[in-house]
Amino acid sequence: MLAAASAAAGSVLLAHASDDLSEPVLEAALLNWTTLPYIAAGSIAWARRPDSRFGRLMVAAGFAMFLSSLQWSQTDVPFTLGMAFDLLPAAILLHLFLAFPSGRLERGAERTLVVAAYTAALGLQLVKMLLWSVQGRNVLAVAEETEAAFTVEDVELGLLSALCLGGVLVLVVRRRGLVRPLRPSIALLVDSFACGLVMVAVLLTAGAFEWPAFETIRRITFLVIGLTPVAFLIGLLDARFSGSTLRELLVRLREEPAPADLRDSLADALRDPSLTVAYWLQDFGRWVDAQGRPVDLPTEGSGQVTKFIDHDGSSAVALLHDPSLADEPELLGAVTAAAAIALENERLHAELRARLDELRGSRQRVIEAGQEERQRLERDLHDGAQQRLIALSLELGRLERRLSGDADARGRLDRARREVAMSLEELRAVAHGIHPAVVSGHGLAVALESLTVRAPVPVRLDVRLEGRMPERLEVAAYYVVSESLANVAKHAHATLARVDVARGDGGLVVEVLDDGVGGADTERGTGLRGLADRVEALGGRLLVWTPHGGGTRVRAELPCA
Amino acid sequence: MRVAIAEDSVLLREGLASLLDDAGFDVIAQCQTADELRLKVDSYSPDVAIVDIRLPPTHNDEGLVAALEIRDRHPSVGVLVLSQYMELGLAMKLLADSADGVGYLLKDRISDVDDFVAAVQRVGTGGSVVDPAIVSTLLSRQRSDDPLATLTPREREVLELMATGSSNQGIADELVISLRAAEKYVSSIFGKLGLPSTGSESRRVLAVLMFLRS
Repeated sequence: MLAAASAAAGSVLLAHASDDLSEPVLEAALLNWTTLPYIAAGSIAWARRPDSRFGRLMVAAGFAMFLSSLQWSQTDVPFTLGMAFDLLPAAILLHLFLAFPSGRLERGAERTLVVAAYTAALGLQLVKMLLWSVQGRNVLAVAEETEAAFTVEDVELGLLSALCLGGVLVLVVRRRGLVRPLRPSIALLVDSFACGLVMVAVLLTAGAFEWPAFETIRRITFLVIGLTPVAFLIGLLDARFSGSTLRELLVRLREEPAPADLRDSLADALRDPSLTVAYWLQDFGRWVDAQGRPVDLPTEGSGQVTKFIDHDGSSAVALLHDPSLADEPELLGAVTAAAAIALENERLHAELRARLDELRGSRQRVIEAGQEERQRLERDLHDGAQQRLIALSLELGRLERRLSGDADARGRLDRARREVAMSLEELRAVAHGIHPAVVSGHGLAVALESLTVRAPVPVRLDVRLEGRMPERLEVAAYYVVSESLANVAKHAHATLARVDVARGDGGLVVEVLDDGVGGADTERGTGLRGLADRVEALGGRLLVWTPHGGGTRVRAELPCA
Repeated sequence: MRVAIAEDSVLLREGLASLLDDAGFDVIAQCQTADELRLKVDSYSPDVAIVDIRLPPTHNDEGLVAALEIRDRHPSVGVLVLSQYMELGLAMKLLADSADGVGYLLKDRISDVDDFVAAVQRVGTGGSVVDPAIVSTLLSRQRSDDPLATLTPREREVLELMATGSSNQGIADELVISLRAAEKYVSSIFGKLGLPSTGSESRRVLAVLMFLRS
């Protein structure tokens, strides 16, 4: 504060004392207009956010721009200093504007522009001053080559002007390429930067070509440059107002039921649609989103930055956000603090879901492996024992025919053949119990036909299926019907049953109804639990209605995928 | 009578072939796969093709598909399907279009040499054969209103024989009655069950099966 006040006072005094200035008050006012707002706005930003480099840079820029006022001095040495720093403000402004918002020059092109500007504003100025004594007031002059000095000056002005326009280009490109939509106040600020640089470029060009309107342009330029800190302050205030979005977030988080997607709420509060929330699953050793899908953390230069949120001393949640959010650490901090509990909850949910998925997957694998094993067994029985027994019985049959005379031998052969036939019958029943091969071979509709005909109660069968369904679905549906019909026979005391099979909701829907006594025990003895396991392992569900005295209805919904 | 066989088990294939050979059939082809059978039927057009329902490569429905295809392309070739499952659905599928020259037997039946030979003969001459086990399952089926209750025990026996594909003469021989008596039973059954008279013996197989299934 004190330093700013004394710098301001100094500049006013210098202006007053100067013989060169026709309007010292106006000149002093203009200078202070371009410097004090920078110092003030920078100080406020610095105070609010001590780690912000941009605030500090802004204050430094304000003070540095005061240095040029020294050229109003009547004494030679300050005049020389002031003259040396005459064009420094142009380079400083370019530096400042390109360093927004982090206070650093992030890209090579930006650094090149700024270094070139400083070199031109200080280096070429020095060369010029070596060649021109300005009526003996410039103590640095070693020669009096006025023509050469003016040429150097033209080059200097032209170069700085071009660099400023380059800066404008960088700002335009940057504004277009931003992922995160700009807040209107930030957009205004960036526009004011671009505007300031355009004016500086125009001013320098006007100086080089000695346009008659130079003085007017200079005053307008100063006016414009002084406006930038005002835009900056509006931005700061706006960020403060973003507290209201934080309140909105808190309200949303307390809503019942909780917001469906925490990520969306956070993305709104942070104004970053690209936001990804990742949760660390310790037991699985991976990051996942709320749905349990794996998430890769961004690497350097991938256009996203990660903020880790710790829980119990280790990183539990990561926010993958737009890099520009890093300039609003309070916002990020406040939002994550507000959502901490919700985030931890969602992490636990994600963990639960992952475990559930794993469990479901392993159950499905177990059932599928069992299914394959049964299929193989049935096949082995068919290809091996069954075929051999049939061949044997055929052989016995032929032998029997040949022994036309010996009645005793024929009788014994006939008995042997009947024994084999009974073995075959039993083997067929065993094989069918292991795996209903007819379902795999000929489809559900064919297989259900004999199942319902053999049922001990009259069954009305209605199969509305065109073509085949995936085999595992057909086999599961077959078991649902066969088990349900067995239950009807054993427990229901029904006089009638109905079996309906149809496509529905992208899968297979099987219903078995009876008009029996109902009240089936769905957990024990009836095999319904085993059926439910089989159906659920395929991602489907088994529903059972069994009111006392109201019959039983078993419905299995088997999804295709 | 010329016969082609498709059966992937060597033991059974050879056994079948020599059985039929002994019985005076001319076994013109022994095939391992359905494709092989198709080729042989195309070039030799036998009187009967005996097809195992489960054939390589997948052992699913290759045999049945081949049987249906042969029926479609060569109506004069009788098709006798041997199955190790006793499936009403498969029998219905085979008989759906026409029961002329079609048979569906449980594989075990081949050991009843005389019956089996008769079945091959019947299919070869345009008749039909349905495994008795299928028919007895249908007859023992539980119904809420049993139309079969009106049949006398003798009529039930006749119905069973009709359903397996027996001709009137076959029924007469089996029950040791006169042909005239067999015909009387048949028309009495048709009247009691309200079945339309069909004339052809193989067509009445389907009619009876449909009736029993419904």
